[in-house]
Amino acid sequence: MAARKKMAGWLWSLVLLFTALTVQAQDRQITGKVTDQKDGSPLIGATITVKGTSINALTDENGQFSLRVPANATTLVISSVGYGNREVAITDNVVVQLSTSDASLSEVVVVGYGTKIKKDLTGSIARIKGDEVANTPVVNFNQALQGRASGVFVESQSGKVGEGIKVRIRGAGSISASNEPLYVVDGVPINATGIAGNALADLNFNDVESFEILKDASAAAIYGSRAANGVVLITTKRGKSGKSTVNVNVQYGNNKPTGHRGFLNARQYIDLLREAAINSDNIEGIDPLDPSQYSGSWLQFAEGRLTRYSGHSNWRELETNTDWEKQAYQNDAKTRLVDVNFSGGTDKTRFFLSGGLSDQDGILIGNNFQRISSRLNLEHDATERLKVGVNFGLSRTIAKRVADDNQFYTPMQMVALSPVTPVRDLDGNLYDRPVTTYYNPLIELEDSRLIATTYRNLGSAFLAYKLMNGLIFRSEFGLDVQTQNEDRYNGSRTIVGEGTNGYGQVDWYRMLNYNTNNYFNYRKLIKDKHDLDATVGMSYQKYKADFSQVYGEDFPSSQLSRLASAGRITGGTSSFDASSILSYFARVNYKLNDKYLVSLSGRIDGSSRFGKENRYGFFPAVSAGWILSEESFLSNSDVLSFLKLRASWGLTGNADGFGNFSHLSLYGGSKYNNTAALVSQQLANDLLQWEKSEQTDIGFDFGFFNNRISGEIDYYVRNTRDLIYFVPVQGTTGFTSQTVNVGSMQNRGFEFVLNSTNIARKNFTWNTSLNMSFNKNKVTKLDGDQTIIPGNDGRYMNSLIVGEAIGVFYGPKFAGADPQNGDALYYLEDGKSTTNDINDAHSFVVGNPNPDIIAGLNNSVSFKGFELSVLLQGVFGNQVMNGAGGFMSASFDWFDNQTSDQLKRWQKPGDITNVPQLRLGYGNGIGASSRYVEDASYVRVKNVTLAYNIPAKVTGKLKMRSARFYITGVNLFTFSNYSGWDPEVNTDYRAGNRNQGSDFYAAPQIKSLTFGLNVGF
Amino acid sequence: MKKNIIILSAAILMAGSCGKKLEILPTQSIEEEVVLSTDQGVKNLLNGAYDMVSSSSVYGGDLFLYSELMASDGELRWEGTFNQPREIWRKDILTTNAYVRDSWLDAYEAINAANNILGALDVVNEDDRDRVKGEALFIRGSMFFELVKFFAQPYAAGNAGSAPGIPLVLEPTRTDNVSTGRPRNTVQEVYTQVIADLTESQSLLTPVGYNDEYANAAAAAAQLSRVYLQMENYQGARDQANTAINLAEDMGFGLAGNYATLFNNSSNSPEDIFAIQVSANDGANDMHLFWSIPEFGGRDGDVAILAKHLNLYDEDDNRFNLFYEDDAETIRSGKWKLQYRNLPNIRLSELYLTRAEANFRLGTSVGATPVADITPIRARAGLTTPGTLTLDLILKERKLELAHEGHGLHDLKRLKRSADGFAFNDPKMVLPIPQREVDAAKGILVQNEGY
Repeated sequence: MAARKKMAGWLWSLVLLFTALTVQAQDRQITGKVTDQKDGSPLIGATITVKGTSINALTDENGQFSLRVPANATTLVISSVGYGNREVAITDNVVVQLSTSDASLSEVVVVGYGTKIKKDLTGSIARIKGDEVANTPVVNFNQALQGRASGVFVESQSGKVGEGIKVRIRGAGSISASNEPLYVVDGVPINATGIAGNALADLNFNDVESFEILKDASAAAIYGSRAANGVVLITTKRGKSGKSTVNVNVQYGNNKPTGHRGFLNARQYIDLLREAAINSDNIEGIDPLDPSQYSGSWLQFAEGRLTRYSGHSNWRELETNTDWEKQAYQNDAKTRLVDVNFSGGTDKTRFFLSGGLSDQDGILIGNNFQRISSRLNLEHDATERLKVGVNFGLSRTIAKRVADDNQFYTPMQMVALSPVTPVRDLDGNLYDRPVTTYYNPLIELEDSRLIATTYRNLGSAFLAYKLMNGLIFRSEFGLDVQTQNEDRYNGSRTIVGEGTNGYGQVDWYRMLNYNTNNYFNYRKLIKDKHDLDATVGMSYQKYKADFSQVYGEDFPSSQLSRLASAGRITGGTSSFDASSILSYFARVNYKLNDKYLVSLSGRIDGSSRFGKENRYGFFPAVSAGWILSEESFLSNSDVLSFLKLRASWGLTGNADGFGNFSHLSLYGGSKYNNTAALVSQQLANDLLQWEKSEQTDIGFDFGFFNNRISGEIDYYVRNTRDLIYFVPVQGTTGFTSQTVNVGSMQNRGFEFVLNSTNIARKNFTWNTSLNMSFNKNKVTKLDGDQTIIPGNDGRYMNSLIVGEAIGVFYGPKFAGADPQNGDALYYLEDGKSTTNDINDAHSFVVGNPNPDIIAGLNNSVSFKGFELSVLLQGVFGNQVMNGAGGFMSASFDWFDNQTSDQLKRWQKPGDITNVPQLRLGYGNGIGASSRYVEDASYVRVKNVTLAYNIPAKVTGKLKMRSARFYITGVNLFTFSNYSGWDPEVNTDYRAGNRNQGSDFYAAPQIKSLTFGLNVGF
Repeated sequence: MKKNIIILSAAILMAGSCGKKLEILPTQSIEEEVVLSTDQGVKNLLNGAYDMVSSSSVYGGDLFLYSELMASDGELRWEGTFNQPREIWRKDILTTNAYVRDSWLDAYEAINAANNILGALDVVNEDDRDRVKGEALFIRGSMFFELVKFFAQPYAAGNAGSAPGIPLVLEPTRTDNVSTGRPRNTVQEVYTQVIADLTESQSLLTPVGYNDEYANAAAAAAQLSRVYLQMENYQGARDQANTAINLAEDMGFGLAGNYATLFNNSSNSPEDIFAIQVSANDGANDMHLFWSIPEFGGRDGDVAILAKHLNLYDEDDNRFNLFYEDDAETIRSGKWKLQYRNLPNIRLSELYLTRAEANFRLGTSVGATPVADITPIRARAGLTTPGTLTLDLILKERKLELAHEGHGLHDLKRLKRSADGFAFNDPKMVLPIPQREVDAAKGILVQNEGY
């Protein structure tokens, strides 16, 4: 009986359960959308709860949701972090707008493989909206980002347009592998290199919605082995449903160099050169002013050269005074930009379509960069569950390039020519050697060509399928194709082509990088307080590059300058390169009561770059956040409106930038006597593996006075170990280095961000934002017993020293000119006594190319229709070494024109000066030393934009949505004690991780002023 | 729904399970084991060793350049803008001089290639084994010889037994021995090794016939004669020069009729016992680069020939006519005028001059009398030869005949002469051990005196 009763109880339960299910099946399905009241943008991750129950749903990335509600339910509660809660009546399609006093906290931030609300972030991510940098008249987005994000150091190598840019996120972490961040465009990691120019200049950044820079390990670790240098996520613009809009932007302006160095004029050149020659004669016991001793003297040699350099003119009469520095610049360098975009869509299909044209002259003669680009981003909701889309960008760039800084034919090397030399002879032809001291680079402009053309396709397609409420599967396929060719011709008058009656070369490069990401995302709010967000998936990426080259000589004429006309094809080559990465990743974010945040992530990467045993690496990260301002003890504060404490730890890797096959002992093809040969290329290292970077970050996010003042403070320590390094080995082995994991490096620092709304009235607003970052880089270990790897090569001194920053200048410390005899003096080990033999000088750390502080300060004011924004950018505490000092500031060691500071030379006993006695051919003080090291801190007025928006009344009449006139100035003013052209410099021919802060005839940066008009329809 | 998930998950795992996707081998390179396991591989490596020897930093010109610059003695001037060769000309060389560094590195690269060949001879076809071995030994011995001449005190300084030479590396470098320290051997030890290598090379190459572009038996003997000359072992120098001449004559070498035809050649002259092959497609010639002028594809005419040298020639000496004047009226050497031309390394006339000098010093006439050896050379230059020779005349003849071909410093040192005020054994007449090498050796490599 008891048993039967029990059985009945079970049955009853079953029935009840069945009923319950049936009842539920009779619930109705509703859908809806939640948007921001301010701008109508969708709110992601808003919670929709049936009032009085725990039935809930979250909005997707379009702000949409669907929910089964009980038939009897009447009210929904809608909530989202940073917004006020709202209650609305249930209808079949609920459309709700939420409002907030502080939008920034509810901003959607793109993170790897997903998005997050800013308030919920536990990692350190800097976000720069595309609108903030749009229409900056520079060709590479990194230049536009300069000074705008804390912890992100951007440095253009020189003012050559479309060329190399160094980006360091929280300092340099590697010696031999890459120190550049990973760039991901719409989910696709892109290739950032090519055979010429800068591959990132292919992207028209006016198409970019936002840049998210993942700085700490917890933010970046989802990119595992590629993330040690930080990750820059670039999201392009999407269309919004609603009325289609058109925007047209045109800009026009001119470009000038930011600085002049200043060289001797003809009078000074003659006087100082003669003085140098006489000094050299005197050392040899000859008085060249005595006519009997003149023959064979240095003075005779020098005066002979003066005559030779003067061409048709007479130096004794000062007939010529050429300012060669001026000749290196284009007189009329222009910038022309046109940008058009359309966007719009229906509820189901949204599009963004753009086209851009950018044409920028560099400041150096012959330097120009052009880009035409187009983009189509399309999204379509195929069904309620399935969404598909493509992001498709196509561009062509044409770069008219100039030679590397160390080439005689690069324009800037003109400064070495003598001011007594006329530019042209009496027939109007350019002078060349032997009249010019060296090759005259102006000839390049008349008789050579160096053009790199790149076609770039950055595309991705995706589908997102909603498997069930909260569970979405997303699959992405990305394609990054880069086809580049560089066409070179050096005519028979040029230095390269003169011996062979012209030289031509064509390089072709095709890079294919494809990538697939497949992942599940699951979001669930449990009992109104446990918010769970989990992602798991895989990714595979393959990189392939083909390269071919052919060259020839002997051209019939400058008009027939393609290789088809070459008399001799003298060589050619082709090669292929490939690598692949296979990855699995997972991440769980958990939020409790909107206050406590925890995030865990892990990624396993397998790379083709390592031997079988060391192919896979695991990169975990953990982070936590606590929103203190949600706690009862703070929530009522009138002053403090937001406060979050964050902490994170994680491990990321680095396996880029050192070659694809470094673990093998390899031989490569070569030739001798026009017969095939093999030569040894590298030594094996089976043990080679990733560099590992471990980063801890502690930070606060805060807001005061209703978030009118808000900001972030971060402290981080990043320790990189197992540094991949080409350890120098004794050359007697037949090798110079072996690729090994040795050594470690540390970066630690503080970052501050402060945003303030100073004035917010209807017709008058004033916002200020400041970012300031302190980073200290330190090499903490080299290979076991080695503490110093000196880098003094006679011109530069970038060294690796344990306890010092990467690439510090280590070498002789210059002690000025000997007051007695004008000898260049250097300090001995005690730092007090001196020697005039640089080989006996002690080596000291005499400079650091890494800045201590970088900062940006932006003020934007709007008054009625006027807007003014001023961005100041500063770099502090770094030094630059002029590797060309031994030529241009060399006490007239040879015939190069000298910088004006050489006028302060030692002349007679008792003179106290830093310029040693002028001595022709005697190398007095020209070795690499602190003589050529200078502080290169600077503050720049980076960007000033003054705009006027025509009132809506007027534009309405003109059938326009908006119209805006503006003037933008880039690099308008630079404040620095650096005596060279520009303190922001790193000469292109040797730029690297360690080789930083070097100047060598590098062009100054571009100062531009452009006028623009932006019209919307 | 579950089915969907399962299918999708399976798809993902499948996409990912191909671990083979990570197996990528290079296409422009092959692994060492492959190279050293076949006859073809080792022979290609031998040609590669010549490629290294022909590097601009070694026999592609720079070793000749250093020799002539250091021995300039007011006869030539480095006028070029590059200050590192100028340091060499002034004998005031920084230990970081990149030219010096690269010469050291490239020579040892060739030595390692030779060691690899010598360690893999058993895979070489038996018929070719002696030749391959002989050529590898020629390369190794020649490189050791060049290094010890430049980076150590001259043998003639008399302290060869104790003076530091250069490290002798006789085993191929592998991952397991790359970090083994390689200290300097004494000058004597290096010379002993050089003699052993070249002697064996000559014996192995003997049966092999005339070889146009690669090292032959005559070249090995000739190189050996240079070694003995440095050691002031005139008997050895004489006998090896004599052997070389006999071998060379057997092979069909002979003095050319016109001195000017010996230079700026795309293929070897009848006097080129060993020459570095250069063409537009392959090879480098730094002697041309620095000694020629822009008109002929050279740099700025970095090396100028001064009156002191020009005054050495007799009025009738047609070798003088090879010099030419550029637009700025500076005198240039015509030996290195044209681009993409071979670099003669051992010319037959050097061997006659060596034999003559050694016979003269020893009072012998092995092979021929000094007068018989000198006469044809002078006759070709348009000069008569006196019936009685003097040592000075023989040495002057040698200087002019071989001018600017890289003999300057080495002859100066063995003859204990001086240049620009620097004695033959002055520490500044020795190149510094490259700073990077001293650093990489972690204390095991002693720097030269004077640096």
